[in-house]
Amino acid sequence: MSDDTRILSVRGLNVQIPIPGSTLWPVRDVNIDVGRGETVAVVGESGCGKSLTALAIMGLLPRQAKVQSEALRLNAESLAEASPKRWRQLRGDRIAMIFQDPMTALDPCYRIGDQMCEILQQHRKISRSAAMKRSLDLLGKVGIPAPEERLKQYPHQLSGGLRQRVMIAMALLCEPELIIADEPTTALDVTIQAQILRLLRDIQRETNIGLLLITHDLGVVAGMADRIVVMYGGEVVEVGTCDQVLAQPLHPYTEGLVRSIPVPGETEQGEALGYIPGIVPRQVGERTACGFVDRCPYATSACREEPIAMRDAGDGRLMRCILPTDGSARDPDVWILPDETSAQGATNSGSL
Amino acid sequence: MSPGRVALRRAIRHGGFWIGGTIIFVIVLMAIFAPLLTPYDPSVQSLSEGFVPPVWAEAGSWEHPLGTDNLGRDYFARLLYGARISLGLGLLTVIISGTIGTAMGITAGYWGGWPDMIINFFITVRLTLPVVLVALVVVALIGSSLWLLILVIGLLLWDRFAIVVRSATQQLAQREYITSARAIGSSTPRILFREILPNITGPLVVVTSIEIAHAILLEAALSFLGLGVQPPDVSWGLMVAEAKAQLLFRPWMIAIPGAALVLLIFAINLVGDALRDVTTPEGKA
Amino acid sequence: MLVYLSKRLLMTFLVIAVTSVIAFLLVHLSGDPAAAMAGEGASQADIETVRETYGFDRPLYVQYLDWVSRVVTGDLGRSTYLRADVTDVLARHLPVTATLGVCALGFALALSIPLGVLAALRPNTMIDRFSLWLAVAGQALPSFLFALGLMYLFGVYLRVLPISGSETWWHFIMPSVALGYYATPAIMRLTRSGMLDVMLSDHVRTARAYGLSPWRVVVRHGLRHAIIPVVSLAAVQLGFMLGGSIVIETIFSLKGIGHLAWESIQRADIEVIQAILLVIAVAYAVLTLLADLLNAALDPRIRIS
Repeated sequence: MSDDTRILSVRGLNVQIPIPGSTLWPVRDVNIDVGRGETVAVVGESGCGKSLTALAIMGLLPRQAKVQSEALRLNAESLAEASPKRWRQLRGDRIAMIFQDPMTALDPCYRIGDQMCEILQQHRKISRSAAMKRSLDLLGKVGIPAPEERLKQYPHQLSGGLRQRVMIAMALLCEPELIIADEPTTALDVTIQAQILRLLRDIQRETNIGLLLITHDLGVVAGMADRIVVMYGGEVVEVGTCDQVLAQPLHPYTEGLVRSIPVPGETEQGEALGYIPGIVPRQVGERTACGFVDRCPYATSACREEPIAMRDAGDGRLMRCILPTDGSARDPDVWILPDETSAQGATNSGSL
Repeated sequence: MSPGRVALRRAIRHGGFWIGGTIIFVIVLMAIFAPLLTPYDPSVQSLSEGFVPPVWAEAGSWEHPLGTDNLGRDYFARLLYGARISLGLGLLTVIISGTIGTAMGITAGYWGGWPDMIINFFITVRLTLPVVLVALVVVALIGSSLWLLILVIGLLLWDRFAIVVRSATQQLAQREYITSARAIGSSTPRILFREILPNITGPLVVVTSIEIAHAILLEAALSFLGLGVQPPDVSWGLMVAEAKAQLLFRPWMIAIPGAALVLLIFAINLVGDALRDVTTPEGKA
Repeated sequence: MLVYLSKRLLMTFLVIAVTSVIAFLLVHLSGDPAAAMAGEGASQADIETVRETYGFDRPLYVQYLDWVSRVVTGDLGRSTYLRADVTDVLARHLPVTATLGVCALGFALALSIPLGVLAALRPNTMIDRFSLWLAVAGQALPSFLFALGLMYLFGVYLRVLPISGSETWWHFIMPSVALGYYATPAIMRLTRSGMLDVMLSDHVRTARAYGLSPWRVVVRHGLRHAIIPVVSLAAVQLGFMLGGSIVIETIFSLKGIGHLAWESIQRADIEVIQAILLVIAVAYAVLTLLADLLNAALDPRIRIS
């Protein structure tokens, strides 16, 4: 991807939080690129640091968190060096974020119309009536029926799916270049999930914005993403196109994730699903070995000697593992342990 | 280690506990040993020696270190004996209000239902009544004696005890060890005394300190209005009332008992805050 | 909402009813009202005459019902000392106390809310500790001492404020501060903790995520939520102030109902005392009811459901 089609460029993003006695390091050396019209999915289980990464990109972490990066750029502008005032100008205008739970993300004390106009009037010099008109248009655009009434309603009067559509409409108000969606469908019914995802995809195609989609659900990713960034333990462990990663996962963690999804048409009833035993460890202090080594079925002594660097796996793919990429050392059945009683700690679709 | 000992350990490390505790300790000592600390009787008048200024003023001397009041009574002596009244009254009223309030709170919190509704109603009624006015009316119409004062204040200030104890009891009563105690057939009084009462001592101790301060302040206000402690007894509030006319020319006569009052209440509040800090499990905003 | 409202109204009514009984009993049982009215040095015959004239010889419940039936028609009795209808007397004195209460509350809110907000925005810094210490100190200072101190500093030493009477707005400054500051610690603490909670909430994060100005985030989306319980507390504190105004009014010679109560107690003017107790209790009950309603009204989730 060339520099001029890249909207978001993140290099070497680190987030550290001092705690009594040591330092939490929930985001480690993360690189992410999002291009115009591209959907990049950041995938990983709860606790892998993907939400914190999104918040760090938006500059929304509390004062105690120390955010460092080699580069954090929106188009050509460096966000890392931006003043607080500049950040406020950019947020909601050039980058917009959609949060997981629309019930708590919207302010229950104000009407929908008021909240939307407030955003528009913060970033544009327009009259209230013009702001209301634009809000109305966008509510219609995201598929909300009877939008005039919705403008006058309070968030608690809408259903979960409608609320999330409102959030999407809010994100589009100022025609941003990048939208970060943090688990946008996790709090919704399964049937509504599909609708919302389709909506996001349609909007993206129409407006050519970049979409950074944070999720733990590979099923969500499959239909939506152009590229996938897999995170584990605060680090990026694999990068590739959606097809590449899902068809042939390289990093053992990705492999475990992929094997744990039932495939309609292929997985037989009663067939055991794979799972990754253990739980995500707390990320404290410097790395001395591979972050995944305690849960990895392929682990060798070499994996414990020093931290693993990211390497080029050919075809534009990256992985943080020393295993060969030709698939020779892999065994898909290594993930299925049907007689193991350790049901606890299995990777599941828990939300953050 | 029992929660009591944990709390005690934390209290020992708490700055406010030490400062407040020391001040209270000193005041208590001074009150107890008052006859040793001053040769004067606080109510003996000596009109020829009226309005002697404190030792730091020009006409003052160590004979009357804090001066004398309009009737020639030694101020330091009055301060010390007044401490006895304030502290004694604070403790006695709290015993009365604490007993009433705790009994009501436990009843409401443990049994719930009708007893809870009734007791809540009583609390609401009590809160609706203006405390100072009610106390004034009773004392004015019946006649003022120290014991009546203690009784009236004690019968008026039980509301916070009831509220806090009720809430603490409610939380406890839902816990499993209570239901299991009941299941094995423990009688109710047994449960109340062995399970509930020991476990509400944390919040109870905190409320007690708050209410001691509250009682002392109420007495001071009543004495200031002339319907609290009566001569020949001494109270700091009474001293302020008697010195009110001297605001213009002899402000120290108000400031001295005033400062004593503020210091005592401040110390009690410090200790109360410290107790609150050490008895909450973890994490306060 | 309607069900809630009617329940609260019923409760309020019951509370007022019981309070009226207590007010009545207090006055009639604390000694002999006939003797108190007849005054000191009255002979036994005089006292008996008073007793018959004023109906103190009737059974208590009869006297009570008689009083209540008069009260609901607006007749609060007659002041023996002032030889006027209690209703008129109260109406003359009430405005002063009401003004005092409102100003005192206003002062308390103007001081504690900004302090509470600032303390929450910068926890564990200088401003936070300062407000905390102010709160602790505030609770240790009795209002009569504070009033005397203010009087000395501003009235005597600096001579910038008047120390008695109620003619102008200047007369209300010191009394309002002396009466209001005692509510400051509670309001400040509640604001602070409410703000600490709300600033961590999701909708504040959204407001920040959309680049809204700090003022909008803190006030429109933060304080708007945190203030709801504070409103309730403020109404309750106003009720306390009405009851506690007696000390301030006597010190500053403000002729409000607190002052009137004080004088009536000294003169054993029974009807007035009873009426004042009732009026203050009713005011407090109404204020707490108002506080609950405001609570519900401010939160659209309760209002519209």
